Amino acid sequence: MKSIKDHLMFILPLMAMLIGIEFILVFNRITSSYENKLKNEYAILVVSQKNLTTPYLRSIDDNIDSVEAMNREDIAKEVTSGMQDAALAAIMKDLPYFYRVHLTSYMSLEGLKKISAELKKVNGILNVEIFGENYHSKHTIFRLVKMLLNIFIVMLFIVSIMLVIKQMQVWQLAHKDRMKIMEIFGAPMMLRSGILFKVAIIDAIIATILNMVIFLFIKSKWSQNSDIDFVKNNQDMLFNVSDFFILFVTAIVIVAISVFVVAINTREVPEG
Amino acid sequence: MASIISATNLTLAYEKGKHIIINDVTFNIEQGEFVFITGPSGSGKSTLLKSLYGQIKPREGMLNVGGFDMSRIKKKQLLQLRRNIGIVFQDYKLINEWTVEKNVVLPLIITGYSLDVQKVQAEKLLSHVKLSDQANKYPLELSGGEQQRVGVARALSKNPFLILADEPTGNLDEFSSGVVWDLLENACDQLNATVVVVTHKIPTIFNIPYRHFIIENGGVHEVH
Repeated sequence: MKSIKDHLMFILPLMAMLIGIEFILVFNRITSSYENKLKNEYAILVVSQKNLTTPYLRSIDDNIDSVEAMNREDIAKEVTSGMQDAALAAIMKDLPYFYRVHLTSYMSLEGLKKISAELKKVNGILNVEIFGENYHSKHTIFRLVKMLLNIFIVMLFIVSIMLVIKQMQVWQLAHKDRMKIMEIFGAPMMLRSGILFKVAIIDAIIATILNMVIFLFIKSKWSQNSDIDFVKNNQDMLFNVSDFFILFVTAIVIVAISVFVVAINTREVPEG
Repeated sequence: MASIISATNLTLAYEKGKHIIINDVTFNIEQGEFVFITGPSGSGKSTLLKSLYGQIKPREGMLNVGGFDMSRIKKKQLLQLRRNIGIVFQDYKLINEWTVEKNVVLPLIITGYSLDVQKVQAEKLLSHVKLSDQANKYPLELSGGEQQRVGVARALSKNPFLILADEPTGNLDEFSSGVVWDLLENACDQLNATVVVVTHKIPTIFNIPYRHFIIENGGVHEVH
């Protein structure tokens, strides 16, 4: 019973840390996918008297990814709806070119304003519309959610680190006598801490597997029944095979650091 | 005979020299000798013993143990030296989570001997200390006298060239004390190990020649 409790006291904080790391991995994948979606859906509208090309606009600002020309005829038809063909021809003659300008990343409003100002300086460009208000509110919500989740992960980490430190103190108490006796009889540090390392490695493996099970459950069961469309549509992002290796390596690193600290703290310092 | 322990103008102190325990002493202990160190409580008997396995560094002077200069000994060398020293403590210092058998072969585990060798040596030593039937028990299941016999068996398990014992019979009954003294006598007489024992009282019946050092007022005096 005591042994199970001893294991759980390390497995639980380790799991909390690994959950935090898995959150970061999943969250990064989801946010970058969402950011990409927002970026792809968004475009600056440019009205110009002359023809614009992607290389030309890229030379003005390297945040510009591509330029898509809008069909002038469709616009003219919409404007001249119900009028005679002569009116359409007249409008087509004077109608400027319309472009959707796509960006390389999901930028802040300040960034958009800067691009807008640069484009307005170009000879022949009549107007630039960045749809600032709508863009700004989406961008702010996105950044806020990202920040809140980052704060949550940091808090989770702090609490987990405190629990791991507590467990290191327990280990120190439990293994101090044995490690000191072994040192008196000439055991090197690797051998003295070997037993503790074996125990901790087992805990690391258990914590990693439990974490994997939790995230695989979320991926296969919870996300299917979820009301959140985005989660449903991005099920694949919830747990990747590579995540298992990242979590395992992280758990081993935490274990190695913890055992090393305990071994250092219990080593003998000659008096005199 | 080769000198196993050699102290020249040795001073031992605590708290970076503020508290001097042993002051400017010189002595020599040769291979195969049995040495008793006695003295009043707090005179520095255990401190001197600790310096012989490197738990306390000489403050001044020179101390050589088994060819190692204890003032300059490196951590790796110290561990190497300790692997060839058997140490017996008054409070036994057994590993309570390990069986008696595993405790006995600790020095062999540390040196990397095979499990077969460990098994054979454990059986032999436990038979010597009359604890063959207790091999699979844990130290806390044994009496004080039995625990100390395990401690002595552990100290002998690797045939060390030097055995250090700090009040080995301090807490023991007459029977266990007798067993411990017999084992230490045999180690010296038959295995040619050097044995240094810190004790309050030299046993009345002792079958081999020995030297006797008294520690008093920071000095070490040999009784002839």
